[in-house]
Amino acid sequence: MDNLLHAFALALRNIKRAPLPYLLTVLILSLGLGMFFSNATLYYWLNHDPLPQKSHSLFYPQINSVLQPCDSCTEPMRVLSYQDVQKLSSSGIPSAQAAMFQSAGYARLPGNSDVSPTPVRLRVTQRDFFTLFDVPFLHGERWADDTARRELILSKASAERFFGRSNVVGETLRLGNELFTISGVLQDWEMLPRLYDVANGLNSARSADIYLPWETAFDLGIKSNTTTMSRDERDYSDNFAVNGREGQFYQAQFWVQLDSPQQVTAYQQFMQQLVHSEKEAGRHPRPEANRLTNILDITEHFNARNRQLDAFALVSLLFLLVCLFNASHLSLNRYLASQYEFGLRRALGCSRSQLQQLILADVAVSAALALFLSLAVAAAAMSLIASLLPATRNLTSWNPLMVLTMAGTALIACYLVTLYPALRASFGSLNRQLK
Amino acid sequence: MITLTNLSKIFRTELIETHALRDVNLQVNEGEFAALTGPSGSGKSTLLNILGTLENFDEGDYLLDGKSVKGLSDAALSRLRNEKIGFIFQSFNLIKDFSIFDNIELPLRYRGLKASDRKQRIEQALELVGLHARRDYLPGQLSGGQQQRVAIARAIAGEPRILLADEPTGNLDSLMARQVMELLEQINQRGCTILMVTHDPEQARRAGRHIQIVDGQLHDSTLYQPLAAVQGA
Repeated sequence: MDNLLHAFALALRNIKRAPLPYLLTVLILSLGLGMFFSNATLYYWLNHDPLPQKSHSLFYPQINSVLQPCDSCTEPMRVLSYQDVQKLSSSGIPSAQAAMFQSAGYARLPGNSDVSPTPVRLRVTQRDFFTLFDVPFLHGERWADDTARRELILSKASAERFFGRSNVVGETLRLGNELFTISGVLQDWEMLPRLYDVANGLNSARSADIYLPWETAFDLGIKSNTTTMSRDERDYSDNFAVNGREGQFYQAQFWVQLDSPQQVTAYQQFMQQLVHSEKEAGRHPRPEANRLTNILDITEHFNARNRQLDAFALVSLLFLLVCLFNASHLSLNRYLASQYEFGLRRALGCSRSQLQQLILADVAVSAALALFLSLAVAAAAMSLIASLLPATRNLTSWNPLMVLTMAGTALIACYLVTLYPALRASFGSLNRQLK
Repeated sequence: MITLTNLSKIFRTELIETHALRDVNLQVNEGEFAALTGPSGSGKSTLLNILGTLENFDEGDYLLDGKSVKGLSDAALSRLRNEKIGFIFQSFNLIKDFSIFDNIELPLRYRGLKASDRKQRIEQALELVGLHARRDYLPGQLSGGQQQRVAIARAIAGEPRILLADEPTGNLDSLMARQVMELLEQINQRGCTILMVTHDPEQARRAGRHIQIVDGQLHDSTLYQPLAAVQGA
């Protein structure tokens, strides 16, 4: 313990001996690490598994159901029509399934007609949405079934924003011109990356404020505010309750939970049979192109990977290498200036391993400083990236494991920077330094 | 105590080979005070460095207390230096921003002594060199002679059996040099073997034994003979 404290005291003394070269080394290292951490953070959030306990069982089915014949159209639409959802929901195989789309609206408290309505993000969906993605409830519960109902589920933030408290089950809220009862309030919940919404591209904005029943949205003519496509001549601005349900209006995402390989096979067979029967009925003129994509493959499947961030990550890695090289050079100069002291220590009986312990203490102090500075640099860099790429705004938080990993990386980087100088110090000729 | 047998040291560059030491045979007994003299570049410091295990040799053997140092690991050599050998350098080699106390403490730390033991030994060493009152000074606050006494205190604090001094008075004026020599003689009288490189014939004469090196060869090794007699031989 005594020697450990002595080693750390020496490491701190080293800063005093040559503060400018020392700080320059740490600063260069922090810049490299900070840029790397910021990009690694985004890369991590965009590529990590948001539901490790069940991601293997979540799938996105697609069928090539457009009614216009096209022999060269061998890829199904990214989104489904109401009819597709109805058909794909009829298998009875998945343990949970939900259709959904993103929309937007205005909400206000019923009695506050003089107050401007507040813009809200909506997720139109079915009751199994909350089961599929393990969405936790703070108050109330999910809808009793998937029939149309004037019931909303609010995020905790929305409940507090409108009512100033979270337990608002049974309260009413006006969405557009319609009055709804609140049947549930979610806990703080964010799924990052929001893979269930990747069909709309890199959608990493905050989760919805309000969840609206699927059938109710059709009744009220609420459509998706992201990807929508119509493939017939119907007027979807009129009588959406009928046209939206019967026509070729594509806007829905659809997820199923298949818990075993047998269920996956059964669902694939179901899709095949469905398409064959549709073909026989003349409702599937295009080539068969059934897809059942796991949630972890969905980003690649929709080619929604953000290549800019990949490029940023690569550049930041190269920048880190350049910084490591420069810091190593500075560190070498610093150590060469102390070479005589290393020689003296060794002449007085300090073994190479004892010398390495001193150097490791030096590395630990440098790493602590570099970590602190690099986190500040990373926070600034992430804020800059978020302003350049607003879609990444929600991907800039750190969890304890990430901070621990960054600390380990800083330690390794500092050790690498010190490795060559340390070897020079340990294996250098003793007698040449001492006269 | 020290036995060198046919010991040779060659410094090699891409172009030339320099024989720093050739077939050196030497026996130094416990408690001797030997002066190593010779012209510049004759191999005195090289011999001292080899004796201090700061440098390797190419041929021959070096036995310390009857055991060969050849092939010892770094840890074993470090322990040997730490426990058996004390070094005194011409330019003192004190760490400038360490106090006198901290400088003397260095080798004792590497030995793994407890803080109380270290303190006791440092105080004894400082007492011997007469610098107890200046234990918290920095080297730069002391005269050259005092700094060399600190270096001597550092060398003897670990109670080594051999003291290797490379021109210990080379940077000192005559008065201070005399004080340092008296101190070394005092340490030698306590039983510590001393090998000292010097250019000063007077100091060589004061040592009990005089060893002369010319062109890497030990020309003579005499006990209690004046330098003039050796040179005339």
